[in-house]
Amino acid sequence: MNLTDLQALEERYLMRTYRRAPVEFVRGEGALLWDAEGREYLDFLAGISVCSVGHCNPEVVEAVREQAGRLMHTSNLFYTEPMVRLAERLSASSLGGRAFFSNSGTEANECAIKIARKHAHRRGVSAPQIVSFVRDFHGRTYGALSATPALAANPDLAPMLPGFRAVPLNDAAALRAAVGESTAAVLIEPIQGESGVYPVDDEVLLAAREACDEAGALLIFDEIQTGLGRTGSLWAYEQTPVRPDVLTSAKALGGGMPIGACLTTPDAGEVLEPGDHGSTFAGGPVASAAALAVLEIVDDPALLRGVRELGTRLREGLLGLDGVREVRGRGLMLGVGLAGGIDATAIGTDLLERGLIVNVPEPGTLRLLPPLTVDSAQVERAVGAIEAALLSYAAR
Amino acid sequence: MSDDKKRPAEPRALTSSTAERLAAIVEAAEQAASKVIDDAEEQARRQLTEAGARADRIVAERLRALADELDPPGAPGQGSHLRSVELEPDAETEPAPRPRSGSAGARLLATQMAVSGSSREEIEQRLRNGFDIDDTSEILDAILGPEE
Repeated sequence: MNLTDLQALEERYLMRTYRRAPVEFVRGEGALLWDAEGREYLDFLAGISVCSVGHCNPEVVEAVREQAGRLMHTSNLFYTEPMVRLAERLSASSLGGRAFFSNSGTEANECAIKIARKHAHRRGVSAPQIVSFVRDFHGRTYGALSATPALAANPDLAPMLPGFRAVPLNDAAALRAAVGESTAAVLIEPIQGESGVYPVDDEVLLAAREACDEAGALLIFDEIQTGLGRTGSLWAYEQTPVRPDVLTSAKALGGGMPIGACLTTPDAGEVLEPGDHGSTFAGGPVASAAALAVLEIVDDPALLRGVRELGTRLREGLLGLDGVREVRGRGLMLGVGLAGGIDATAIGTDLLERGLIVNVPEPGTLRLLPPLTVDSAQVERAVGAIEAALLSYAAR
Repeated sequence: MSDDKKRPAEPRALTSSTAERLAAIVEAAEQAASKVIDDAEEQARRQLTEAGARADRIVAERLRALADELDPPGAPGQGSHLRSVELEPDAETEPAPRPRSGSAGARLLATQMAVSGSSREEIEQRLRNGFDIDDTSEILDAILGPEE
């Protein structure tokens, strides 16, 4: 079956929810992918920050293989060791409270939203509100979607859940004004990912923390994209002046296996009770075993130092290119703002043809999310490819 | 026949005694239930406090582990770059205050970055850029130990 056959079947049988690039990948290793014709690609998207430990990382593969051969699923009516060990490991490396597992990031945010609402009800708030930033992306299930202003505005999907409002990014005054007695939580990405890699300023994070404390609300960090070493620390909040009450994780957590987690402080971990939330597959032994293997790799000071160093090298290399206006982000989560008039989609398409996979989250921006295990030669290769694409564009 | 004749005196006395006993039993049960609730609440408070203390210990242990990695114990001629954090004995009952100002935020930023493995230079750069702190040595020395 070739690419044309796949496209014909997709046209007939798959819902038209994605616009896929015309490539069929069949194999991956580290930061490299190969298509069906044997062509090699350098992957600077890593499955949208999922394959942070590289494609088919041998330790993750072995953990999955071993667990899948022993026990794949029992449901949450029983105990399995990988799930409990993973909860302990995540708690110890984050906020010290409890974990609720899910199968995706949006589900992790649903759990966080439930915690926030119940926490607010307990202090007598009858109509709790959750405050997010304009252009935040928290997911596509209805709770998370309602906290994602750009997508929630789609009238075809109305009505959204009540109790959500958005303020402009990095507007501390607007944030303070939006948080009050009825606020259940401020739910934000410390660095907006899907919108084009826009970090939240330190002073705004401090304002959010203070406003939440004054109102009795929870500060929730959506670390689905920023977490697990992506920014050069295990969690992005570790490079900010605040500590959230709840953080959500997914994407890189399973190294390619679907798993998400809602992690809390000890206090916030006491909010949900039996019957409040649940999931059939969540915390299953195979996904949990994969996540334990991932944590073993990424919760390593040497790897995290490498992420920061390579991130700096990548940033400096990109800033030296004609056509690059700015580079936003931290560690190996970078948004490359192109000079006015440059069509980022055209650059992205050209880069794919040159064998470099990037993403175009908004007009004028390239998003780079390479595996954290990328090496310096691959970073140089990516910078070279982007330079060649920009030069080619300028020569048109 | 009057009602009094139908109802002998002895059973009435018995009824009165039974009511008193019942009242005493109910009171005792209520006291026991109240104690159970108090105990449960006390236990819940204790567990929350312990969980908070565990979280603090985890942070301290990560900081210590990092300190050991940067400066292996017994390494000759080297002082500690990263100061180990020891919990105060009463820290278990007093949750750490959250940052209320830029200064406290700067200290938390520096602490969290140190825990996550950032170097002195990296922390210093973030403090300068994010908080306009010209002299970062006080914060850095407090967390990482004096520079040699």
